[in-house]
Amino acid sequence: MGENILVVKDVCKYFPGVTALDNVSIEVPRGIVYGIVGENGAGKSTLMKILSGVYEKDGGTVVFNGETIEHTTPIQALQRGLSIIYQEFNLVNSMTVGENIFLGRFKENRGMRGTHKKARELLDSIGSTINTYTMVGDLSASEMQMVEITKALSFDSKLIIMDEPSSSLTSEELKRLGIIINQLRDKGISIIYISHKLDEIFEYCDIVTILRDGRVIDTKPVGEYTRNEMIAKMVGRTIENEFPPRAHFVAEPLLEVRNLNTKKLKDINFTLHRGEILGLVGLVGAGRTEIIRALYGADKARGHKIFLRGKPVNIRNPKQAMRAGMGLVPEDRKHEGLILPFSVEGNITMASLEALTKYGIVNRAAERDIAKRQIDSLSIKTPTQTTKMISLSGGNQQKCIVGRWLEIEPDILILDEPTRGIDVGAKYEIYLLMNKIVESGGAIIMISSELPEVLNMSNRVLTICEGRITGEFKPEESSAEEIMERAIG
Amino acid sequence: MKRDISARFTRSLRNNLVLVGIIALIVVTAIIEPKFISSANLTNVMRQLWPLPFIALGMTFVIIGGFIDLSVVGMISLSGVVAASLINPLGQVGAILSGILLGGMMGYLNGFVLTTVGAMIQAEVLFITFGMSSIYTAIALLLTNAETLRIARSTKPYNIFTALGSGTVGMIPVVLIVFLVILVIMHLFYKKTLAGRSISLMGGNKEAAFLTGYNVKRSMRLVYTISGIMSGMGAVSLVSRVTTATATSGIGYETNAILCVVVGGTSLKGGKGSVIRTMLGVLLVVLLGNCMNLLGLSTFMQTVMRGAVLVIAIWLDNRREL
Repeated sequence: MGENILVVKDVCKYFPGVTALDNVSIEVPRGIVYGIVGENGAGKSTLMKILSGVYEKDGGTVVFNGETIEHTTPIQALQRGLSIIYQEFNLVNSMTVGENIFLGRFKENRGMRGTHKKARELLDSIGSTINTYTMVGDLSASEMQMVEITKALSFDSKLIIMDEPSSSLTSEELKRLGIIINQLRDKGISIIYISHKLDEIFEYCDIVTILRDGRVIDTKPVGEYTRNEMIAKMVGRTIENEFPPRAHFVAEPLLEVRNLNTKKLKDINFTLHRGEILGLVGLVGAGRTEIIRALYGADKARGHKIFLRGKPVNIRNPKQAMRAGMGLVPEDRKHEGLILPFSVEGNITMASLEALTKYGIVNRAAERDIAKRQIDSLSIKTPTQTTKMISLSGGNQQKCIVGRWLEIEPDILILDEPTRGIDVGAKYEIYLLMNKIVESGGAIIMISSELPEVLNMSNRVLTICEGRITGEFKPEESSAEEIMERAIG
Repeated sequence: MKRDISARFTRSLRNNLVLVGIIALIVVTAIIEPKFISSANLTNVMRQLWPLPFIALGMTFVIIGGFIDLSVVGMISLSGVVAASLINPLGQVGAILSGILLGGMMGYLNGFVLTTVGAMIQAEVLFITFGMSSIYTAIALLLTNAETLRIARSTKPYNIFTALGSGTVGMIPVVLIVFLVILVIMHLFYKKTLAGRSISLMGGNKEAAFLTGYNVKRSMRLVYTISGIMSGMGAVSLVSRVTTATATSGIGYETNAILCVVVGGTSLKGGKGSVIRTMLGVLLVVLLGNCMNLLGLSTFMQTVMRGAVLVIAIWLDNRREL
């Protein structure tokens, strides 16, 4: 039993044509929060997948809790005391909290009653008051995360890896996560904290390793880094600012929404101007996504009027929305945005195909040109145009979806969490793209849970709470506190 | 570099396993039983394999679209019965066209029911198409009183049926030529047209296709209509071959067609696949059956083999993802 819970030495991993990990070494002491940062494709996920036994390493050694690990499977890793909490939770929505925590292990607790009792104890130990008989599907994202953490504790984990734990949390919930992380650390449990959000890294982590292109660039205590140094080392170049200067192109009204009502929304009225970036701020579940889905014709809405360029339009499905000049970059890239088994090309050209079709036949040559143009102009990193979408990094996948819409030049582009799970460099490129769109006379509606992002990019912000618009702000003239207060309600 | 070449070799081998399987099967069987590659046997195989290629062709589109169609059983039975019984009142051309048209109508009805009910997950689709199949079979039973219809009893000429059933041009059966024309058309339809692309986009991700302005429900009705038309054509080829039609003649073709599609390498997860590969699947499945016949395996054993091939094919498809 050394003082390090995990020692990774010279680990290598090759995929066809790519070196994913190149002699990566890290040492994680006991009772420490260990941050790992890096751009998408830097090798963070690959490393975690090797630790958890999803991938096999091609070289190097892994010592966990004093034991050299050659081969492992996810179950074995769990039993040894290494848990991973993925960005997308591994929970069964139709089962209760207690059942989820001890899934498949009811016998060791002598049945369901013992299971719920044990689950209660574990939840209490991290100060959570979630009822163990609640269905997981009814929980909020942060409560689900608590359940995941409790599940890890139930395996007596000595090391918990959290992959982007904050991506679906509101700032209030994030504070609670911070408290729990501190409690775990006090119990002597080590945590590997993977995140793109540098604020969290600086707040929670003790030691930080920066990965880039499969190599360790730097490892030192968090206090010895400056924010700019960290960003520079992650992207391999200096980024002056996290946000580009705010665009100022606001002109005449382009879109007016009157009396939009659905099951969840009450009397939504707003106007969007040419050249404007309009931010929608609110908690997860406040109705932000519902507004844009109803507007876009993806969900049913009743009794509302939409005026586009002063003329009333009727939008009942996404196809009509597209024809009216709208585009949507949805919240959930994998499930709503991408066709993962398709090529990069097929994903980019999806929205343009109708225009390329004559007598029912798609013009393949024109299709290839479109894909090439967008790949070049957005500098999407992909080996070839026909590479499968699934093998691209998150940032590049997102650029493909944006490129899909840029090609048909929509007047109104709706971006739902456009930078979720993508790295600093790619974020900046998305911001620049947004400015370019409004500069050329388009307009953007943007939803984001990252307040700094909305406040720095938007010309105007609407706060949404429980399905209503509760406030309208100019971010240049209002403070973040004021805006958040209205959003919380 | 060496790693690269061997990796590429393994990958191309893995992607063309059907071809490897077909060649291995031919070589091994030809060594054990030389009769296998005799022209008499091969002609026999080409004559006996209908209506499977039609059904598998239609099923490929449904599966690429991300769904499945168990109703082909009922559609083949009912189309066959109707085609056979309409020779007298409508003449043979009218009978054939009615059979195919009826198939298309039943397929469209399947799609209409599915989109109206809002069936979007595989289990619902499975059971609704199964239910539709029972309805079609029951109608066929009512029409025939469970009796066997014989085209030889028609008072009008039925020489097109005979030509489709046993006619040849040189060594090649007429029905094969007809089928190849349809195959090429369907292949081009899938590869070149927007409608074809919409089908695979739907299979790849329904929600993403919908949000990018595709009419997913229309594509869904389209794939079922294609499957219906193919079932209608298959039914005509079946009636021509066996010269009879019964209300239960479609039984078993649904699983066999799915088997061919999956063995051909079209993923049950939807989104990707190829009609040409399905034909390789048909070839492998049919040759396997023929070879087991020649080697004197019992029908029970053959069923075991077919089940094993299906499981292995799905297993290989899942491994390919890695």
